[in-house]
This record gives sequence, C-alpha cells and structure tokens, in this order.
Amino acid sequence: MEWLNPYHLQVASFMLINAILGVSIFITLSTGQLSLGNAGFMSIGAYAAALLSTQHQVPIPVGILAGSLLAGAVGILVGIPSLRLSGVYLAIATLGFGEVLRAVLINWESLTGGAVGVAAIPQMGRVILSMARDGGFSPESIGLRNNQFISLSVFLVLLLCTLLSAAFFLRLSRTRVGRAYTAIKLDESAAEAAGIPVTYYKVLAFSQGALLSGFAGALFAHTTSFVSPGDFTYHRAVEILVFAVFGGSEHLLGPVFGAAFLTLLPEALRAISEYRYILYGILLVLMMVFRPQGVIDPALLRRFRRSPKETAA
Amino acid sequence: MRRSVRGIAVVACALFAFVFMGAEKAKPAAKPAAEPIRAKIGVISIITGQGAAYGEAITNGIKLARDEVNAKGEVLVDLKIEDSSGKQEQALAAAQKLINSEQVVAIIGPTLSNEMMVAGPEANASGVPIMGTSTTAKGITQIGKYVFRNALPESQAIPASIGKAVKKHNIRKVALLYGNDDVFTKSGFDTMKEVSGKLKLNILTIETFQKGQADYKAQLTKIASLKPDAVFCSALYNEGGVILAQARKMGLKVPFVGGNGFNSPKVIEIAKDAAEGLTVATPWFGESNDPKVKGFVAKYEKAYGKKPDQFAAQAYDAFHIMANALKAAGIADRAKLRDSLAATKNFQGVLGKFSFDAERDVVMSPIVLIVKGGKFTIFN
Repeated sequence: MEWLNPYHLQVASFMLINAILGVSIFITLSTGQLSLGNAGFMSIGAYAAALLSTQHQVPIPVGILAGSLLAGAVGILVGIPSLRLSGVYLAIATLGFGEVLRAVLINWESLTGGAVGVAAIPQMGRVILSMARDGGFSPESIGLRNNQFISLSVFLVLLLCTLLSAAFFLRLSRTRVGRAYTAIKLDESAAEAAGIPVTYYKVLAFSQGALLSGFAGALFAHTTSFVSPGDFTYHRAVEILVFAVFGGSEHLLGPVFGAAFLTLLPEALRAISEYRYILYGILLVLMMVFRPQGVIDPALLRRFRRSPKETAA
Repeated sequence: MRRSVRGIAVVACALFAFVFMGAEKAKPAAKPAAEPIRAKIGVISIITGQGAAYGEAITNGIKLARDEVNAKGEVLVDLKIEDSSGKQEQALAAAQKLINSEQVVAIIGPTLSNEMMVAGPEANASGVPIMGTSTTAKGITQIGKYVFRNALPESQAIPASIGKAVKKHNIRKVALLYGNDDVFTKSGFDTMKEVSGKLKLNILTIETFQKGQADYKAQLTKIASLKPDAVFCSALYNEGGVILAQARKMGLKVPFVGGNGFNSPKVIEIAKDAAEGLTVATPWFGESNDPKVKGFVAKYEKAYGKKPDQFAAQAYDAFHIMANALKAAGIADRAKLRDSLAATKNFQGVLGKFSFDAERDVVMSPIVLIVKGGKFTIFN
C-alpha cells in the first residue's frame, strides 16, 4: 500500500471540498443570480462546526449538520431582502455581506477568538482513527500506516459528501424545482407570467447555495483543524466564482470540474514554483478569449453522451 | 441520469490519473555516521502572492546558511523548497508532500502562524520536526512535541521596549493603538495591555485599525486630545510607518513604543523624519558590531544585493540550529533530530544567544532600539 500517498489524498480532499463550493455557486447561478456571498456562508458553517466541537464537545457529524443548517437559515434571512436586487447589484450586496461577516468574526473576540481564529478543531481522520482503534480495528491489519489511514478516511468521507450533494442537485435539475430555476434564469417575467412563484424559488436557490457553502465550510474546518477570518476573505469568494466561470455555469458538472481542476493545477505545477500562478492567470485569460462559456457546456456534454467510448480511452 | 454519472466517472478517473502521476518513490534518508550526514530538509515558504517579500527573505537566509553548512562538509543538506502562497490549504498540502513524497527529515517554516496551525499538527502527528522562523502567535509550540520555533514572540519583545521607555520618559498615561485583524499585532496588543497593567500605567484609550488602512486621523485625533505621555502601538511596518507620519504631522509629539513588528528599515523609509524617537525591541540588530552579524550582513548583501532583515536573520539562524542538531544527532533520523533539537542550549547565532525552553519555545533576550538620526541605534 506504499503508493497510497497522504499528500495526494490531501490534494484530492481539497478538490472535493472546492467541488462542493462549486456546486453551491452553481445553484444560485442556475436561477440567474450572481451571489458572491458563498465565502461568508462558508465561514458560518466552518465557525459553527468548529466552535460546537471545540467548546461544546458536540460530535462532528452533528456539528457539521448544525453549521450547514445555520448557514442555510442565514441564507434565507439575507436572501429575502437582497433578492430584490439583481445582476451586479446583488453581487456587490452579497460581497458586502461576506465582508461584514468577516468583520464580525474579527471583532466578536469572546466567541470567535478574533483574528487568532479557532485552533485544535478535531480533525475528521484522526477522530475516525481513534474510533476505529477503540472498536478493535487497526489500520496495520490492512497494511496502512496511521497517516495513510487518516488521509484515506478523510478522502472517503469527503468523496461521499461530494457525490451525494452533486447527485442531489443533478436530480433536482430534472424536477419541478429545477425546471422552475431554469425558467427564471431564461426569463424572469415570463416565468412569473407562467405562474411560477419567482421570489420563493429565488430565495430557495439562494439558501440552498448558502446551506451547501456552510456544509463545505464545516467539512473544511474538520479537515484543516484550524479556521481564522483570513480564510474567508473576498479572495475566497472570487475563487469560488472562478470555479464556475472556468468550468462553465450551464451544467452542474462545470463548476465541479472547474473546482477540481483549478485546485489541482497549482499543485501539479509545484515544480515551477514562482511561475505557477502566472500560468494559472494565463490559463484564465485564454479561457475567456477562446471559450467564454467555460470548459463544460451542454454541447460538450452531448458529444460525450454520443460517443462515450472515444473519450473514455 | 446514468449517462451523466458515467461522465462524472470519466472526469474523476482523468483527474486521479493526473494526481498519481506525480507519485515518487520514497528514499531512505539515513546514512551511517562515519561519512558526512546527508539530510533532506523541507522548507515551506511564501514564494508567490501576498507576503512573498517575507518568504523571499526567509528562503534567502536559509539558502545562505545551507551553502555555509554544505561547504564545511560535516552535514550535507538537500533543500526542498515548497510554496504555500500564504494559504493554509497550500501549506498543509506542501507539508504532506514534504513529509510523504519527499521524505524529508525536518521542515523549516511555514511563514505565517495560521499556516503553522494547520501544517504543525500534521507534521507532529507524522513525527517530523517542524520549526517556524517567523511564527510568533501564542500556542504554536503547544501544538506538539515536534513543533519548534526560533521567532521571538511579541510577548517577549514588548515588555523590554516598554520597560526601558517608561523608565526613561517617566511615562504614566498611555494610549494603545493596534491592528485587530492580524494575529501578530493582536497578540502584541495583549502583551502591551498586560505590561501596562503590571507597571500600573493609566490606559487612556484603546484604538484599533485594520490591515492596509491608509487614514488613521480619527484614532490619532482622539489620542492627541487625551494628552498621553506615550503611545504604545502594535503594528507591522507598512501601517506603522504611515501612523507615525500622520501622528507627527498633526502635532502628536509623544514617544511611540512598539514591538518587533515595527522593527524594519522600511518604517524609516516611509515615515522619514517622523520616525525619530520610535522605540522598538527586537532580537535582530543589523548595525551591530558583532563580527558574526557583520559577516552575515556582508555575505547576504553580496549574494542578494540588499541588506538582510529580521526574517532573513531568523531563517539563517534556524537553519544553523537545525544543522547543529543534525550533527549532534549523528544521523538523519526524525525522532533523533527532534531530541537533539530540543536539547539546543546557548546556540550563538546572528540573533545572539539562543536556547529552546521546555516547551520548545524561544529563550533569548531582545535588544531595545531607538530611531536616531534616521537609523536604528541602541537605546540607553
């Protein structure tokens, strides 16, 4: 099992967390709303999960669930007033929301520890390992070193979470809700005229996106075992947006692919350390010139479906 | 539905092929002690993005020390430098790479305390000694017994500068000013408050600012109206220089006392004459007459065309501490290196005499400096 390298699993884990963030921005985009608040919602999930598990000894899954739900609830509260805005105004309002949240995290020192952040958050993998040991299972019995087992279990948990959330929202796009989202995206007035409660669906999409961002944030907290306000700056918000811009925002797989690829790229380019982010930038510029709709668009997916054998090779 | 699942599978397979292509064979690091000790040491530093200036100074200092150590021939070190671009995820991935792919015997870095909070537990759990050269926040070495640092925390620097300034200027009433969104300046402020309490100083007001702020007039006007004897300011040099310039311009003439963050020639560059009288405490004094310091400054200037700052000096010393510990251990082994690192006592570096305490934290005495005639001089 020597080939199972914790480094690769670590990178894969961050790809998966970012993929969930990619799905979260896709949901709001699928109703034609551009929200940059995902970093803010992510911080709610991350801090809620972190504080619950460090200060109140709540089990990790419960903390993650609570963090996601809290982010979703705040999403509804923020969504109702701010969805009167559209386009670039909504983008700016949500960006402002994220910055306000960050200022709160910095200044509410008694709860969040201020700029210092929350340290010593139980790491998923280490908790799973100690649970496995208590249950009489040792990783050596399947030929794994401790840190391999830790990284592998984190990876598998995240893989499951990512697949479930991607599958749920892929499914959703074929239901009544998903069709309503598409209708609103194509033409809001026409959708309203056709009897679709536009505000309801917009707030629903917004809070679904918030919930999923919070979910990703909570997973992030239990993967890195440390969170601080510096993790959730507007850079993060833009990074999440770039996942969708690069991967394509027409299909759910677009942002997922964008997230995975753009997380992997700087790692794969470590050999040219100083220049790797230059390449990253050039790639984005080239994308905008030659493929402004993103890598994955419905036309590409149709081609995939017609001849899966060609591409699978 | 089934088709799109197949699509996901194809993409996922392609991505994983990409990840695992980078897999490398692990190499045993240990060698018998008769010949030179060969060791692979990893460095995690900020090479790209915000804060790259710190990372550059740090890697320069380490490379200079590496060349010196390798030239001696007792210990031959192969450096593996990884970029964290100041992000925690990247610092963690870099640490994983160094620990598992490169199989390094120890890690120097990462640059920021936040990065250490993430990379430290991983290195500790894997039994790899990790030493921060610029991580000054509280609780760093408490992460675990494999975590070290040689960066002087503000909690040791500030009491020295405040103590001297209070005595000299007979300070009774003070105003505190600090950046509240940065771990370093925040912990500096905590120390200032504590020390002021101990010295029974009257704190007139506590004002805050944020990183990158350009206008401090609101805070400074309030401070000036309260007529303090001195201002204790916990800031990094970019903000600190501007604060000084604006304070002097509006006629606030009282002494400014800071910690280690204020200690950079850049402060004088930014504030010019307004920097006169600024008092700081630091382990690093580049103008010192110590032959060790002079030699280091000359070598550094020759190699990189500029004077070393405190980050370069700390990294330079850190590497020498590591190399000495390797020599003492006699073998490039992670656990043995940890033990001999922890035993480091009275190491004489460019930062003066250095030891690790029982918690692998810094023991050294800072020098108090004051800006006089446009440069830092020793405060007496």
